[in-house]
Amino acid sequence: MQRGFPAMRRAFASAVATAVLALALPAAAQDGAALLGRAADAARTLNYTGTIAYQRAAGVETARLIHVNDGGEEFEKLYNLDGPAREVIRSNGEVRCYYPDAKVVRVEPRTFRNAFPSLSPQQQSSLAQYYTVRKGGVGRVAGLEAQAWTFEPKDGLRYGHELWTDPTTGMLLKARMLNERGEVVEQIAFLDIVLGAKLGPEAAKPTWPVSPPDWQVRRPRTGKLVEADTGWVVAKLPPGYAKVSEGRLGGRGGKSDGAAQLVFSDGMVAVSVFIDRRGGTQRHVGRARQGSLNQFSVKQDDYVITALGEVPPDAVQAIATSVTRR
Amino acid sequence: MNEDISRLMDGELDDDGAVDRTLAGLRQDGAMATWMCYHVIGDTLRGDVAASARLSGRIAAALADEPTVLAPQRRVDRPATWAWAMAASVAAVAVVGWTAVSLTDGPASTVALAREAASVRADSLRPQVIPAEYLLAHREMSPTTPIQGLGPIQRVSVTGDAALAR
Repeated sequence: MQRGFPAMRRAFASAVATAVLALALPAAAQDGAALLGRAADAARTLNYTGTIAYQRAAGVETARLIHVNDGGEEFEKLYNLDGPAREVIRSNGEVRCYYPDAKVVRVEPRTFRNAFPSLSPQQQSSLAQYYTVRKGGVGRVAGLEAQAWTFEPKDGLRYGHELWTDPTTGMLLKARMLNERGEVVEQIAFLDIVLGAKLGPEAAKPTWPVSPPDWQVRRPRTGKLVEADTGWVVAKLPPGYAKVSEGRLGGRGGKSDGAAQLVFSDGMVAVSVFIDRRGGTQRHVGRARQGSLNQFSVKQDDYVITALGEVPPDAVQAIATSVTRR
Repeated sequence: MNEDISRLMDGELDDDGAVDRTLAGLRQDGAMATWMCYHVIGDTLRGDVAASARLSGRIAAALADEPTVLAPQRRVDRPATWAWAMAASVAAVAVVGWTAVSLTDGPASTVALAREAASVRADSLRPQVIPAEYLLAHREMSPTTPIQGLGPIQRVSVTGDAALAR
């Protein structure tokens, strides 16, 4: 993995920032930032098996999750319990998705983990400035006593969050996003969980061979984000959001000629902005929504600009419509 | 009948009797599909995908309440024109797709199916979806998956069939 040094730098910066912020922020906000960091650490470092329920607008999906940390190396297996069988195996810096009905394995050369840097000082202060963080009561989730937390947004440009964590390990057991009317837009929770189980990497092995002989192996069209100055800016960025990354999606063969991507975050969620040539990935304009994810696309000259994030529709629209050349 | 449905939608049926007759007519002859089709087309043309999604939810609920709409007990004696038969089937596909979308939120098969219906303006019926490529690129950078396994479950449902369809 090529990210050793920046990761260390980030970890150091984050430790310094945390120390500085510890003096500057109200207790609840400190707790809020610490809570998120602790939850992310627990999910990475612990062994656990559990059943997850994921709920959006109309439906609930359930899945089984097995996570193994074997001497610092992570292995993870996730498979759904309803609908057509799907299995996701995460190991060795890649993610393999198995589609047994189609006899296809899709390989993603990314881990979907650790890519997001620790909260920067700016993000931590955004968190405090744009959310009211409250420690709630203790309730039961997945058979465990869980500590509830609420992150209530102070404006209409973000969703509210309710989190329940295991007080002992910090592991997140349940998370909810709420819109401005207090309706749940997305909810995810463990129905049962065994924390700290004794597991080896074999527990997270795929049901099928790594590449079954008569299956098709597919690799995605675009690669990772290659950091670069794209020449694009968001002129009217909603308050509290700061840029965390900017670059181009790698094309085939490691060429970085794909869409430009800019990522902004308020510490809690992220909004990605994609700037693609017309006739590229996004051909439609207007709004789209999947669970807590909202998208807004607009045409500008020879480009289609899309903002996408776990934020209300107005926020992605405001961002997409204010993208401009620097 | 189709014209009445259209006028009903546009609020142009001012005679209560006509409204009642049209509403009653919706229970027969696959007229429900026509009504749905008009709505889906209208919503899509207005770019109001959310309305379409809401509509599909309402329709799904209505269908659940009224199984007879799906399985009429007597055959239609007035044959629909081929164009409407086609439109109705596309509407059904769109609605089934949307129902699937609302259940799994995946782009699923609607797009592919709508494309196959060549004689209808499939474009106008295609629901807006979030491209899998963007979704994955965004997920990679998003801090919102503190339960680490929870990102993939969304990918399972969201990119599953769309990714395969390419």
